[in-house]
This record gives sequence, structure tokens and C-alpha cells, in this order.
Amino acid sequence: MASGNVPALEIEGLHKAFSGHLGIGRHPAVVDVGMSIRPGEIFGLLGPNGAGKTTTIKMILGLLRPDAGAIRVFGLPCASREARARLGYLPENPYFYDHLTAREFLDFYARLQGIARSFRRDLVDQTLERVGLGGRGDAALRTFSKGMTQRLGLAQAIQHEPDLVILDEPMSGLDPLGRREVRDLILGLREAGKTVFFSSHILQDAEMICDRIAILKSGSLLSAGRLDELVSNQVRWFEVTIRGTLPAGVDAGRPAGREDEHLVRVPDIEALRALLDRVREGGGQVVSVWPRRDTLEDLFMQRIGAEKAAHRESSRA
Amino acid sequence: MPTRVLAVLIVASCVVATTWSGIQLERTVGGETREKELLLLPNGEHLKIASLGQAPLLADLIYLWAIQYYSVYGREDRFRYVQHIFGDVIAELDPHYIDAYWMGALILIVEAKDLDAGLELLDQGIESNPDNWILPYLAGWECYHADQFECAESYFAHAEKLPGVPVYVKRSRIGMAAAKGDLRRAYAMWLDVLQDPVADAGTINIAERQLRHLKVKIDVEEIQSWVERFRIENVRWPSSLTELVQRGYTDALPLDPLGRPYSYDGSVGIVAAPTDRILPEKS
Amino acid sequence: MLERHPSAAAAIVAIGLNTFREAIRDRVLYLLLVFALIIIGVSRLLSLLTVGDEEKIIKDVGLSAISLFGVLTAVFVGVSLVFKEIERRTVYTLLAQPVHRSHFVFGKFLGLFAVLLLNVGLMSAALFALLFFRGAAPWPLLPAVLLIAVELAIVTAFALLFSSLTNPVLSSVWTFAVYVAGHLSWSLLTLREKVPEGFARWVCDALYWVLPNLKRLDLKAQVVHGAEMPDAYVALAATYGLGYAAVIVALACWAFSRKEFL
Repeated sequence: MASGNVPALEIEGLHKAFSGHLGIGRHPAVVDVGMSIRPGEIFGLLGPNGAGKTTTIKMILGLLRPDAGAIRVFGLPCASREARARLGYLPENPYFYDHLTAREFLDFYARLQGIARSFRRDLVDQTLERVGLGGRGDAALRTFSKGMTQRLGLAQAIQHEPDLVILDEPMSGLDPLGRREVRDLILGLREAGKTVFFSSHILQDAEMICDRIAILKSGSLLSAGRLDELVSNQVRWFEVTIRGTLPAGVDAGRPAGREDEHLVRVPDIEALRALLDRVREGGGQVVSVWPRRDTLEDLFMQRIGAEKAAHRESSRA
Repeated sequence: MPTRVLAVLIVASCVVATTWSGIQLERTVGGETREKELLLLPNGEHLKIASLGQAPLLADLIYLWAIQYYSVYGREDRFRYVQHIFGDVIAELDPHYIDAYWMGALILIVEAKDLDAGLELLDQGIESNPDNWILPYLAGWECYHADQFECAESYFAHAEKLPGVPVYVKRSRIGMAAAKGDLRRAYAMWLDVLQDPVADAGTINIAERQLRHLKVKIDVEEIQSWVERFRIENVRWPSSLTELVQRGYTDALPLDPLGRPYSYDGSVGIVAAPTDRILPEKS
Repeated sequence: MLERHPSAAAAIVAIGLNTFREAIRDRVLYLLLVFALIIIGVSRLLSLLTVGDEEKIIKDVGLSAISLFGVLTAVFVGVSLVFKEIERRTVYTLLAQPVHRSHFVFGKFLGLFAVLLLNVGLMSAALFALLFFRGAAPWPLLPAVLLIAVELAIVTAFALLFSSLTNPVLSSVWTFAVYVAGHLSWSLLTLREKVPEGFARWVCDALYWVLPNLKRLDLKAQVVHGAEMPDAYVALAATYGLGYAAVIVALACWAFSRKEFL
């Protein structure tokens, strides 16, 4: 169980730029990015496509070398063998050796991890169960669907029980059932004291399970911090669905799709109470009351909008 | 890190081992380069480059092709390129291809009737294969057949001195001197070669040809002697060879090694062998 | 807590075995093998056309087929395996394991070399069987076959090196170029004499020593003619070849360690 003050993952002042076409020019992919992930938490790296999430993750794994900055895994330099021994990785859109069966595949990775032969067979079977591939141990990888490949990728990432699990777009290409299973798996990992760092461009998934997040756009960090601090729980407005006659003087709002129903928006709890009283008096029926809270998407759009505005300002100046 | 040091040490020792063995190889086998006057080398060298290390196979293929080519009699200027093909191209690709040297030489000597060119080709083979005795031995015999006895003697002397040469070759110089004109003696000497249990296929082939060649000469000489006797006794040339049989000068007419009858020109009384062919005839 | 003891040897063996199994399934391998066997069979027919030693043709064709198809296999299978891994990102999860990058290259090399040895073994067995059948002793050909295997080690090493550096088409081209240059390095000695003294001559010498001298590993003509080799020639040549291959594999390890995966 990872504990103590050493961050599970620490990124400082990370820079990476790629050479342009035919070597002309340099395109920055990651600009001065830094974050610190505590042991035992679920951290989401969010941002639109092309924001630099995958590039950052590749640098954590040593697949790319940063131009500047440092990355440490449990205090160890990220490209070292000791660091890699403590993490598990699932790349985006993974692809595996066609010629192996699922069991052979996991056994191969277990060998590379240095797990003794006597443990391997059971471990492989257990891992297959954990990711929902229980009966498919002897199926050839070339017959796997996208969802099955994704699960197998997860399997090799968690098989050796690493303290830090790094997942790049783990929900991509999965149907709702699959995404639910992955979410449950990630929650289970936290339960077991592991740290999970994953990237996604789907904000709703992150919202459901992350403890802390960072938002990346065009290589730069837009925000970072605890989800419940960034996204307040305050109610923005209430949406009330009313059946029957509307009380007089109330804005009709948008039709709710049914002939006799109306949707009314009220700004706060006082106004809500007043509306509910009037509806009762008028003989109408309240079908539902829904509090509209801030979402991550709101935050996101707000930050992106601010970015764009700032950008326009600077280009006009 | 100790493993890194170990890895560097291993690589360094590989470099040393490679360089050392490379130098050793260079000393023993290196310097195989041929001295040529021109950088733009003649076709043999070009082919050797083009063959990408498959030179002996290419030599085989060209040899096969050459045999098919030269089997077609009646081609104009057939012999213009024999030296080039056998001596330049094949010899360049595979200098140890003994078959090519003597085959080319025989085509030149017997069919193109060019002894000098044939001997030149054999010389080339001798130079590239200094330990091979059959080539100088054969060269000696070809000189002998052309009545060039000094030339023959020097070839036999050369052959004699080679290491590992069979016993009868040592006798050849003396034997040949005695055999000047004595074809039957020469025939017996080649029979020795044929019957040698350690002779390889190529040598046996050569011996068979020489024996056939000698038999023809012996036969022609013999028939010619009967013709002369007929003339002396009958004041005219026999009208045909069968007349010799009819008149009892011989019981039967010998045939050449391929089973063909000898030809005879009744107007001048000359016996001749059917056309000398080295390669099987093809139309 | 799960017990884990990652070891270099175990990793190399695992990767080697995996590479071997993957290469065995490559269809190109079988095509080339079948071609080679056909050609060895055809040599029997060619031998009917010759005048003189018939076995020479069979031996020449056989040895050339083993050598040439061995090289083709080494280049195409070697380059495509590495390309597939990088292209399909199979390599990403592998490099996340606690294994040095150089172990991967070395493991791949061993796996590929094992496949090539199997190939050479099968083709030689076919050739030897054919010669046996005709009553000729095939054993003198063994040194040539051994050195062909050593030559293939060098070619495979170069294929791995270039695969780490560039795309598969260029890798194949470069590897072939080295193979051809290796067989022609003797011409550098001739060139050296024609070239003016000084820098140019020095370049010729340097090239001659740096390029692999593959002609030294070519005993085809010698074994077919039954020529005498100097003492321990095969051992010396094998040391040279294997040492050279080892150095190139080390270079390939280094190149792969430096590689960035975009």
C-alpha cells in the first residue's frame, strides 16, 4: 500500500516540441506542464484531442524524452527500471501480437515482470476474470473485438499489481456496459490502495470517479485541483416541470414535449417555493424538480472561452 | 552500474576479436586481388561484380550455356569468342573450374584447329590451379599430337614436378620421347590414367577423349597401311575400303569410337576419320 | 504482495521465444523456403545438361540457394517484424515493463537467428539428401553451410539496426546495400591502387576494414572443388563473423535505446 509524502507521480516544468514537416519549424506539444498526484487517488488528465495528453503520458513512460523538465514516479526517475517496475500502462488504441492466445499473452508479460512459473498460471486466470475475459483464455488475439482488446490491455496493466496505473483513454471504443466495468475496475483499484492516472476527452467519465483533475489545452495547463473544489456544488437554477394550467404571470418556458406539460426555470430556492405554492393554488401538478448544478463541462467551456478571449485580445493587440 | 560496464567490456572484446581474426584472415587468404592494368575491367570482372557472391553458380550456368551454344554446328564464326567465354568469363568467375579450361581448349584445338589458342587457355588454367596435374599433362599430349615435341616435353616436365602427381605421369616424359610416332605406346599411357582408381570424373573424361583420339589415329594409320600395300600390289588405289576386305587385306574394317566408318578418297588414296567433334552433335 | 524478480536472462529468453513464434508464422518465410527447395530440386535436372562433373551443378545451386534465400529471409522477416511492432504499437506496453531496451533487441536477434538456423538446416538437409541419393558425400559442404549461417547473423544484425533507425523500405534497402558492399569489399583493394595517394587511399582502407568482408565467409567455390583450406580457417572466419555481428547488435541496442516513439 503506497503511503507517505512521496507523490505517486510528479511532473515539473515539462516541455516538448516536435519538428515540423521536413524538419522546418517546431510545433510545441507540451508547454510548461506540472502536476503532482498523491498516492491512493484517482487523477484525471482531461482536455480536447490534440491537447498533449498522450504526449505527456508517453514522456512518463520514457517513450519520448522531454526537452525540459522532470518526471518522477514515487520519487524515482521515470525512465528507470525501478520506476517502471512500479507502474502499469495501457496505451491508447492498443494492439497486440496476433499470434498469441489471451493466456499466452498475459503469461508473456508475467514473465517479463519476473513472476515465478508456479504463480503465473493462477495469476493469469485470476487477471482474466478480473477484466471479464474469464472464458476466453484460449481464444487467439486476432479474433478479439475492440472491447475485448481493451480489456486485455487493462489486464496486462494491472496483472502485476503495480502501485501506479496509467491509462490513456481507457474508455475509448467501449459500449456503455464496458465503460461501466472500467469505471468499476478503477474504483476497485483505489479501494485496494493503488493510484490511478488516466486521460480522457470525455468529461462525464472523469466527473464520476476522479478525485483530482488537470485540464490541458494546446499543450498548456488550464486548471488543476480537486474536483469538488473546481466544480462547486451550488445550484445554478431549478427546472420545474408542471402539468396542467400555468399560474398567471409565469414565463411559459420551453415546451416539455407533452401537450399539457410546461418547463419553468427559477433562479433559487426562494423562487422555487413561491412557484410551488402558486401551482398548488392554481390546481396544477408538479411533475418534477431538477436542480441544475455546475458540471465539469461548464468549467471546461468557461476556461476554454476565457482562453479564446485572451487569445483574441493578444492577437488584436 | 556494473551491468553496463560488463556490456561495454563484452562489446569491446568483440571488436578486438573481430579485428584480430580479420587481420589473420587477411594474412592467409588476403591479397587475392588480381592485377589488372585497367580500372575499367573486362567483362569477366563485371560479371563477377554483378553476381553478388554467386560467382561459381554463374560460372556453371555460363558453362552450360556455352556447351549448348557450341553444340550447334554450322554457326558462322563459332570460334571467335571461345577464348573470351572460357578464358575470360568462366575463368574469371570461377578460376578453379577445370572442366571449362580443357573443354574450351579442346574445342579450340580439335574443332577450330587453333593449337596456340588452346594452349593459351590451358596455360591460364595451369596458372590459376598450380597444383593441378591434368591440365599440363593434357597440354603436353596436345602438343604431341601436333608433333610439337619440345613443347610437349616442357609440359610433361612441368606436370612431373607437381606434388601428389600419379606415378605414370612421371613416366610420361620418357615415355613420350619413346612414343614419338608410336601411337600404341601413347594409347597404353592414357589407359593407365583411365584405370587409376583415384582419378576423378573430370580426369577420366579427359582420358576417354584422348583414348578415342588415339584410337582414331591408330585406325587411320592401320587402314592407310593396307591401302598402301594394295597399291603396291595392284598398281592402283583401291576403289573403296570394302575392296580391302574383299581382297583379303583385312578381315574386317575397324569403326571409329562412335561407330562410324572411316572415309576414303579413292582418287588420291587417302584415309580420313569422320569429322572430329568434341561436343555431341545438335541440329 | 506479489513476488516479482525481473531478470535480464528470463526476459531475453521470453522475448526470443516470442519472436521465434511470430516469425515462424510469417508467410513470407514459407514462400522463400518452398522456393529454395524447388530450386534445389531443379538443379537435379540442370545437372543432366552439363558435360563433366554433374554434382558440381547441384552443389553450386544448392549452396547459392541456401545463401540467397537465407539473406532474403533475414532481411524481409527481420525488417517486417520490427516494423509491425512499432507500427502497431505493440512495443509500447513492452517498453513499459521493467526491462532494458537493449534486452529487447538482443532477444529479437536471438529469436530471428534461431528461425534462420532452422531455415538453413532444412534447406541443407534437402540438399544433403539429394546428394546422398546420388551417391555423393555431402559432408565437405558443411563448412560452407556453417559460414553461411554466420553471414546470416551479420545480415540479421544489420536488419535490426536499420529497423530501429528508419522505415521498413529504407531498412531493407540499406541492409541489402551492406550485403552487396560486403561481397564487393575486395574490389576496394583494387580501387585503392588506382586512386592517388593520400586521403582517398585512406578512405578506401577505412571502408575495407569497416565493411563486413563477406567474401571471407564464402566457401562455396572451395568446398565444391574440394580445395584445401588453411588450418583453422573456418574457426577464424566464424570468430570474425560472429564478433562482427555482436558489435552490430550492440549498435542496434544503442540505437533502439535512443529511439523516440512519436
